[in-house]
Amino acid sequence: MSAGGSGGGASEAIPQNKLIAFGAAGGLIAIYLSYFMVQFAGPAFSFIGALGAICAIVWGSAAVRRVASYGLGTGVPSIGMLALGMGVVATMFGLAIGGIAGPIVAFVTAMVIGLVIGALANRIIGMGIPIMEQSMTEIAGAGTLAIVGLSTAMTGTFMFDVVLTEVIATGYIALIFIAGGMAILHPFNANLGPDEKQDRTLSTAFEKGAIAMIMAGIVSAVSAGASAAPTIVIGLAIWYVSFSQYRNYVVRDAYDVVGTGLLPKEEEESE
Amino acid sequence: MIDIAGVLAANFLYVILITLGGVLVSGSVHFVPVGGAPAAMAQATGIGTGTVQLAAGAGLTGLVTAGAMLNLTDSIALILAAGMVGAMIMIGVTMIIGNLVYIYGVGVPPASAKVDYDPITKDRQDIYVSQGTEGHGLPTVSFVSGIIGGGLGGIGGALVYYSLMSIANGMASADFIGLAAIFAVGIFFVNAVIPSYNIGGTIEGFHDPKFKKWPKAVVTSLIVTFMCAIVSVITIGGL
Repeated sequence: MSAGGSGGGASEAIPQNKLIAFGAAGGLIAIYLSYFMVQFAGPAFSFIGALGAICAIVWGSAAVRRVASYGLGTGVPSIGMLALGMGVVATMFGLAIGGIAGPIVAFVTAMVIGLVIGALANRIIGMGIPIMEQSMTEIAGAGTLAIVGLSTAMTGTFMFDVVLTEVIATGYIALIFIAGGMAILHPFNANLGPDEKQDRTLSTAFEKGAIAMIMAGIVSAVSAGASAAPTIVIGLAIWYVSFSQYRNYVVRDAYDVVGTGLLPKEEEESE
Repeated sequence: MIDIAGVLAANFLYVILITLGGVLVSGSVHFVPVGGAPAAMAQATGIGTGTVQLAAGAGLTGLVTAGAMLNLTDSIALILAAGMVGAMIMIGVTMIIGNLVYIYGVGVPPASAKVDYDPITKDRQDIYVSQGTEGHGLPTVSFVSGIIGGGLGGIGGALVYYSLMSIANGMASADFIGLAAIFAVGIFFVNAVIPSYNIGGTIEGFHDPKFKKWPKAVVTSLIVTFMCAIVSVITIGGL
């Protein structure tokens, strides 16, 4: 089964390099900004970490879109789970040994693992996707920044002692794993097909990222270092705007949108 | 700063065992009859969902049963057996319920399109395959293959978890269990996706011609899991 394989590269209005810059630089800057703002101005600024996660999620789903357009041979969800599988291993390593440089160490580690998987997928398994190495590297990096960003939004810091007790030991890491993975894999999975458009897919990525942000906000209610209200409110606002935008794109791309009315009361009326 | 060389030297056995566990998971996926979306519409032999979902379902059940056994004993044989049985039960139940739906719900006989005769029961297959499909349901050979796959995957997952839990460290036990569990899950997912790309999303079991491709996935998993194992051993051993 080939899911969504159009057999060639995807057309893109926004070049991938801009999205890489948006995701990598935006994600890292937001994570560090969040950390320092929480340190010096108070826990209300923990939401910036989730904004970084959204940047990474949008970048990740753009990379998924590019690589999955070639046809993976299996469902798109596999690549999202792979991204977060690589990401979670690299994140734990980076945050544990990196200290203040933790997010950067995690990011680099993830990209090395991603590059190796991408190279092996082409050389040994023989998937024959020309952008496999680059895309795997991007997806692993994006998955890692999504995990670090959401952890920072939950606890207000990426220092490993706090993350370990408040995110990992409590099991919220599993929530991050699935919510982050879903946000990266779902946009293309939901929009794939011959009429798939980059802006529509990316608006779904913003929307899914906002849902992950709202969840991180709810979790941060029990954390001393992060405050829940700003994260939830800003998350809801982003969700509303991106979902409206997504709906506009759907209406734009559809041939026609008509109401079907309510179901008929009796079977005979439908004849 | 962590003494990386010291931690690795002290725990090198566990790096090897984690790598072996990842390779077992990767190999096990080739046994599981994965039908993907076509099987969900009863148009291909196998369980109607993707490799990753099946491997996650069976493998994580294996992790839970292995983790429960780890509370009671330190014996590696018992822990691996618990992981194996847990995953086998999970995949077995999935296949039985799947077959019930295919036989009594959809109304198709279990039949393989890859072989004319079931290698185990010697039953004729080809005349029962509906036109335009790649087989449907789970014939005996696929079921047996799936049970073997579940068992191998369960051993692999349990081996990864047991090895991670055996590394000496200075963490509180709740933190340690959480960290080891999420590492095991991450390594498990990576090793479930790699073979799924190798088989192109669908496979009927060990009688499927695609099964012969398993060395490619195993070599890939060997290299990738070795990297992940080093990273996770340094993380846990250094804390």
